[in-house]
Amino acid sequence: ENREAMLNSKSNRLTEALEEANKLFDGVCRAREAALDAQFLVIASNIGKEKANELHSEMSAFDSTAFAEDLLTFMGINRTEESDDPEDVPSGFLRSDAWQTMGEEAPKYFRRAPTFHYMMGSSKSEPPVPKQRIERQRKASRGKAERAMPAQLKKMEESHQETTEKEVERILRILQTHFENDPNTPISFFDFVIDPNSFAHTAENLFHVSFLLRDGLAKIKLDEDKLPVIEPTKPSGRGEEDSRAGERNQVVISLDEREWK
Amino acid sequence: QVSELVQFLLVKDQKKIPIKRIDMQKNVIGPGPACSEIINRAGRTLQEVFGLQLVEIDHKRHTYILINNLPRAEGEYLYRGKEKEKMGLLLIILSFIFMKGNSVKDGALWEFLNLLHVYPGKQHRVFGDVRKLVTEEFTRLKYLEITPIPLTDPPEFKYQWGPRAENETSKRDVLNFVAKIQGKDPTFWASQYSEASA
Repeated sequence: ENREAMLNSKSNRLTEALEEANKLFDGVCRAREAALDAQFLVIASNIGKEKANELHSEMSAFDSTAFAEDLLTFMGINRTEESDDPEDVPSGFLRSDAWQTMGEEAPKYFRRAPTFHYMMGSSKSEPPVPKQRIERQRKASRGKAERAMPAQLKKMEESHQETTEKEVERILRILQTHFENDPNTPISFFDFVIDPNSFAHTAENLFHVSFLLRDGLAKIKLDEDKLPVIEPTKPSGRGEEDSRAGERNQVVISLDEREWK
Repeated sequence: QVSELVQFLLVKDQKKIPIKRIDMQKNVIGPGPACSEIINRAGRTLQEVFGLQLVEIDHKRHTYILINNLPRAEGEYLYRGKEKEKMGLLLIILSFIFMKGNSVKDGALWEFLNLLHVYPGKQHRVFGDVRKLVTEEFTRLKYLEITPIPLTDPPEFKYQWGPRAENETSKRDVLNFVAKIQGKDPTFWASQYSEASA
């Protein structure tokens, strides 16, 4: 029991325990008690050995209790404030976002490779990096990933593919429903794709909409104010191939987190 | 073939479990002399295109992990689920282990974590089964290495840094963390500081 307390180099508990055992032994007259005493000696000598190890240890004294207290302060439990605020939880409990605070600090100390997911591209898993060199890397990585993709299609999990298709279909349905209700008003493109709460989700929306455009299921035009609007294309038969070929334009829209805000 | 291997590694890394060379050979490259060359080239691609480093953490069993080689950016870190909180707990554990001499006994570690209201036997609001998280998940991902101490009854274990921890962070980083939390200069702990600077 209380090994850590005994091991604390500042404590004399081990010495006190030994002295007490010595005193008790004087009163011993039965074999069983002597055996207990022997057992105690074994444990005490083990602890003694550990303490000796700690003395030889190269490390400067590290007070883990103080460290723990400082951590709790960092995470948001501030002892001096508790008595003022009646709504505060009683001492000994951490606020619910305590570990979130820790979670904001911790990643700075790790060089963890972001996990790679097709749907999310690089906006969700990598931090936004302003350097030019790295921007080029990200674009190159997307290109390479797509080139290697056909070879791996058989091996990669199908669930990623299916989810993308479902998402694209869902977005098409939303677009079509809006149009059924209001056939002559195309939706502002930006209103359609931008999610005011999530930049990552906005990027996803752009990604899915690009599929609709590629397949000719939706089209983008410029309205009177030269702002892009999006509308679904009317379902057409096989003879429409000329219009498909004619109307394709490549547009690059760049949207970074600052602009999005 | 190199790009196939790159794809394979990126997907396998999602789980953060070390990747075995045998798996690479079974699924992507055949066995044979070309194997190492392909792995090397894949490593170069990962570095140049993604800024990721392919590190062999076990030279006997040939297992590899991916770590991030880009300079740390100031921005927000976007991780899914409870990744960030887990990294917080992990950082604290790694700090404790280092400051205590690079190896601690399980009893000592849990006694310390109790001070932070983290108990092995109790379901934690954020981490759930903490004992499982620490002894199973962190070791599977190679952040921690837990070895039994011989001749102990009941069996005791010692906790040390695992190879992924060695590669993804450093003693210096961890010492800086401790110094920051305690409001002291890292040189306050002279021996740890000199070990971290070695």
